[in-house]
Amino acid sequence: MGLLSIIRKIKRKEKEMRILMVGLDNSGKTTIVLRINGEDTSVISPTLGFNIKTINYDKYTLNIWDIGGQKTIRSYWRNYFEQTDGLVWVVDSSDVRRLDDCKMELDNLLKEERLSGATLLILANKQDIQGALTPTEIAKVLNLDAMDKTRHWKIVGCSAYTGEGLLEGFDWLVQDIASRIYVLD
Amino acid sequence: MEEDHSNPSEVSDKTLDSIAQKKHAAMIERLSNLHQSRLQQAISRKSDSNDSPSFESTKSFLDRFSETKKSIEMEIDRCRRVSESESKSSLKSDLDKVSVSISDLERQVAENSYFLPSYEVRSSLKTISDLKETLESVNYELLPKKKFSFKNKTTKKDQSNVVKNETEIRASDSVLVENCSSIKVRDSPGFHNEEGAVLVKHFGGSKEGDFTLSDLNSCEVRLTGSFRALFIHRLWDCRVYVGPVLGSILIEEVEGCLFMLASHQIRIHHAKETDFYLRVRSRPIIEDCNNVRFAPYLLSYEGIEKDLGDCSLDEETGNWANVDDFRWLRAVQSPNWCILPEEECVNAVNISNLKTPGEVS
Ligand SMILES: Nc1nc2c(ncn2[C@@H]2O[C@H](COP(=O)(O)OP(=O)(O)OP(=O)(O)O)[C@@H](O)[C@H]2O)c(=O)[nH]1
Ligand SMILES: [Mg+2]
Repeated sequence: MGLLSIIRKIKRKEKEMRILMVGLDNSGKTTIVLRINGEDTSVISPTLGFNIKTINYDKYTLNIWDIGGQKTIRSYWRNYFEQTDGLVWVVDSSDVRRLDDCKMELDNLLKEERLSGATLLILANKQDIQGALTPTEIAKVLNLDAMDKTRHWKIVGCSAYTGEGLLEGFDWLVQDIASRIYVLD
Repeated sequence: MEEDHSNPSEVSDKTLDSIAQKKHAAMIERLSNLHQSRLQQAISRKSDSNDSPSFESTKSFLDRFSETKKSIEMEIDRCRRVSESESKSSLKSDLDKVSVSISDLERQVAENSYFLPSYEVRSSLKTISDLKETLESVNYELLPKKKFSFKNKTTKKDQSNVVKNETEIRASDSVLVENCSSIKVRDSPGFHNEEGAVLVKHFGGSKEGDFTLSDLNSCEVRLTGSFRALFIHRLWDCRVYVGPVLGSILIEEVEGCLFMLASHQIRIHHAKETDFYLRVRSRPIIEDCNNVRFAPYLLSYEGIEKDLGDCSLDEETGNWANVDDFRWLRAVQSPNWCILPEEECVNAVNISNLKTPGEVS
């Protein structure tokens, strides 16, 4: 029995996935993480450093690193790149004015070698807001079709308010990471 | 209309849930066969990278970290003293070396962040940002002509391929700008490009989405009722009175203005000589601001109590005074903002009636 429980423990640790959530400030990263974890989203502060959430996604353990997106602290993003399995880039689809900032920061991120193997999920958040851009429009502005062909990526429209699209996105992400690791095997 | 929003989302949540569960079951099956290979990969990755030391325990990491930190501080100190003598020639390269050491240290934190307790990661990053700040100020002191930067910049006059790349980038940027502006024209409810006007809008219900104020000069803006999100961009010499905003407010590039705002989150970037009268659920954020002052929300209009209540903003949390300056993440008070002295505060402003245009001084 003792040995079995040790083995179980080891297994659990190995079933972890490291997910990095980044994007401009105010895009809704923290709200999304709390929402998928079923927590209260009524009082959320802008993130000063980062939050780590461990979420059991079926038998799988996601370690989600939600990093603050204020300009001053964007240079710290790279501190979290190591061993990242999945990258979630969150866009505020109603913030048209800062889409060029958003594109620039994403482009920089994708140049990063340590993230080259990571699956990329782009969440076009705040779809509940009237006048928000659609995922297709966001994809066009971010020029996602020009991305490196080896990258596994997908863009999903979502709303952290209604919860719409979040499961679809994370479901794809987790499955892609899993199958990618499978292929490497 | 409210119900249209909530009901389908509940249903779709459940449907997605059951689909997700099926997919997961299949996936987890595969995954349980994979863990071994993953572990082996991790092990071989570790033994491959002899160049970057990996630390097996938090303690040994922290010991190494503080050692390196100390030596960096000593080196910065040495540079400072050298500068007082005449041998300044190697100063720049010495300071560059320090910069590299700091980057190395940062990388080590990153590489070990997966096993370090989050408190240690946070305090290590704080130490690194302090070191960077010290280095930056030393650079500024000793090499005042060039502003020190951690980024590598290419010089513009360079006649190589780099220039080509740069123009290529610019070309694609302008395409982007075109894309953006065509979209911007299509939908962006708000007040734009006005001078010397009084701009008034009432929001009927919580269904209203985002609203933008941009490029306003010497205007007075009154927004009553509640709505979801507010963007404010490039305002000069304006007075802006706004009812409760359910989500967040983002302010960029304002100067010489007065704002009365209530929201769950408020982020202020590049503001100068401006007073903010706020009611906020979380701490207000400022970044790249100077001479900004803060006071409590003093707005009233007919029905504001109900609007505030609907947005859970009826309670004064006192957060208007708990400003976080991202350019000054330290214990001592930031020089960029202060609390507005009571005797300088405007009187409570009532915007119920158009014909009494507030207490404009
Ligand atoms: N309407 C709407 N608002 C949202 C949605 N998601 C987040 N918000 C709001 O957007 C604001 C910012 O959300 P946060 O989760 O704090 O954003 P963040 O990306 O974590 O920001 P930083 O921590 O500063 O990087 C909050 O006021 C949220 O209520 C959404 O889907 N719809
Ligand atoms: Mg956050």
